[in-house]
Amino acid sequence: MSIIGLLPHLVNGVALGLLFALLALGFMLILGLMEQINLAHGSLFALGAYFAYAIATPRLPLPPDLLQAWAAAPLGWRFAAAVFVAPVLVAPFGVVLERLMRRTYGRDPLYGLLLTFGAAMVIEELIRIVWGTRDYMLPVPRGISGGFLMLDLVWSTYRFWAAGFAVIAMAVVWLVIERTRFGALVKAGAHDSEIVQALGHDLEKLRVGVFVLGTMMAAVAGVILAPVWGIRPHMGVDAVIPAFVIIVLGGVGSFWGAVLGGLLVGMVVGLAGAYASEWSMLSMYLLLILVVTFRSRGLFGKKSVLEA
Amino acid sequence: MRSGHTVPTLTPVMIAVWAAFATVPLWIEHVGLYQYLGVEVLIFATYALAYNLVLGHSGLPSFGHGAFFGLGAYGFGLAQLNLVPDLWFCLGAAVATASAGGTLVAAFISHRRGIYYSLLTIAFGQVFWFIAIKWHTVTGGEDGLLKIERLPVQLGVATVDLSHNVSLFYFVLAIFVVVSLLLWRLVHSPFGRILRAIKQNETRARFVGYDVWRYKAAVLILSAGLSGLAGGLFAMAQASAFPDVMSLHYSGYIVMMTLVGGGLVTFWGPVLGAIVFLLARDVIGAFTTGWMLWFGMLFVALVIYKPEGLGGMFLRPARTKRPEAT
Repeated sequence: MSIIGLLPHLVNGVALGLLFALLALGFMLILGLMEQINLAHGSLFALGAYFAYAIATPRLPLPPDLLQAWAAAPLGWRFAAAVFVAPVLVAPFGVVLERLMRRTYGRDPLYGLLLTFGAAMVIEELIRIVWGTRDYMLPVPRGISGGFLMLDLVWSTYRFWAAGFAVIAMAVVWLVIERTRFGALVKAGAHDSEIVQALGHDLEKLRVGVFVLGTMMAAVAGVILAPVWGIRPHMGVDAVIPAFVIIVLGGVGSFWGAVLGGLLVGMVVGLAGAYASEWSMLSMYLLLILVVTFRSRGLFGKKSVLEA
Repeated sequence: MRSGHTVPTLTPVMIAVWAAFATVPLWIEHVGLYQYLGVEVLIFATYALAYNLVLGHSGLPSFGHGAFFGLGAYGFGLAQLNLVPDLWFCLGAAVATASAGGTLVAAFISHRRGIYYSLLTIAFGQVFWFIAIKWHTVTGGEDGLLKIERLPVQLGVATVDLSHNVSLFYFVLAIFVVVSLLLWRLVHSPFGRILRAIKQNETRARFVGYDVWRYKAAVLILSAGLSGLAGGLFAMAQASAFPDVMSLHYSGYIVMMTLVGGGLVTFWGPVLGAIVFLLARDVIGAFTTGWMLWFGMLFVALVIYKPEGLGGMFLRPARTKRPEAT
């Protein structure tokens, strides 16, 4: 295959990579700033997608006339509402999860991982009970759906919009972490929790804040990715695995590591898809194993409590 | 190696566990359950004991053990369908396949600890799972290998047919007895002591002069091989081998079983965990379709309030003095 032939795969790979990075970012926030592995990240991602579906289609427990009025609204509005409201609806799940995890702070990080695995099972089962096991598709407004022709190839319009949205969401997170007082306190708390507490800051509140931010990132990623991957009960597990691959690849606790990891995974999966589409997802794991064999902490990883 | 006390090869608890299992086919149908459940419990108890060699006895949190169980199942099935349909040969193939997989994984991850160990075992677990799903020509893809037979036991002088669940139960019980005896001896041997030292403080164990890497690799390979044995039995019991058992879910289930039962503090904890897990699946499952919802909540509560598991509740405080003799 020539270089020109590979170009579309590469471009799609970059777009996919940005989405992967968005997916991994919430996971990275909780891992990097709280040193907790949140295996329920994927389930929160799935919840975001399901709530978005309920808002956009709409299937909401509302009074009939209100529901009818909402259903009559243009799909663009309903989709936009889903993007912004679904993460807010998922946030309380993050608050509950953080409350449960509090007992595991200071213990072996394995307990946090186990607890969130249990929570993931519970959320996945809840989804099955509420929505059943069938697949759903999140409808995309006409303006950003469909495809277009470029260089004699058909491109999916939504993927580019999704990638653009991912960039915006990542920029917001970066600004929150690097340019606000909240971000500075959280980073300080991760570095030395005792001093931050001694200075009179409520560390518990900060932790809830981080967890909610991570949860909402998961939900946003769920909404944005739902039209691309579809909505089904096990989408959570399907999503959490690439997220953690990206984090380990990029290095635990590194914002740019997560972004670069996402892009790398996206491009490798995209290019592998050009040669053997059946096997493209395998390339992600092989990339991970290859990188961490030579760079044990990933690309930008720092030493952390997780290695003890 | 000299030590403060020696642990007998046979203990009353051990004999009680075996004897209790031996009576199961006599009453299980009278309490409203079915014979096959007993087979399943024993297979998963064997698997959980093998898994606990890594998690409980060496402190290595593998989250991808389903791969080895699955490799064993496929090894058994492929050996039977393509090579020699002989029970001992096929079980040997199951152990060999899983050990080979374990060796490959061990080579990459044995210098890792803690969460990184977990993360890499997840990654390797996914690789094996993915290959099992996609390599249609060998593994049968998502459907898996079908038409695996319950081969008769060739004992030289006699042949025992295993097509009935009761006879299969006693065969699996025999394997369970051998595996539990072997593991009991192993964890109370000098090798087991070094594993415990690595669990407590890997750096110190290294400074004392042990080649920690080699021990960690050996224990993973051994655990993988025995998990593969359980997988081979499972393939025979289910008459098929399918990729599901290699998924992250199933790898998590075995961790759940081991922890719920109390594998971190007692040798027999994983067995208790396998019983509780499968009973919960059937009993809660009889009332509601979402049994994992309730079991998951129980598991979360246990991790929060009683991380040593159900087995930890039965232990007397004396265990702080003699952690080995439980």
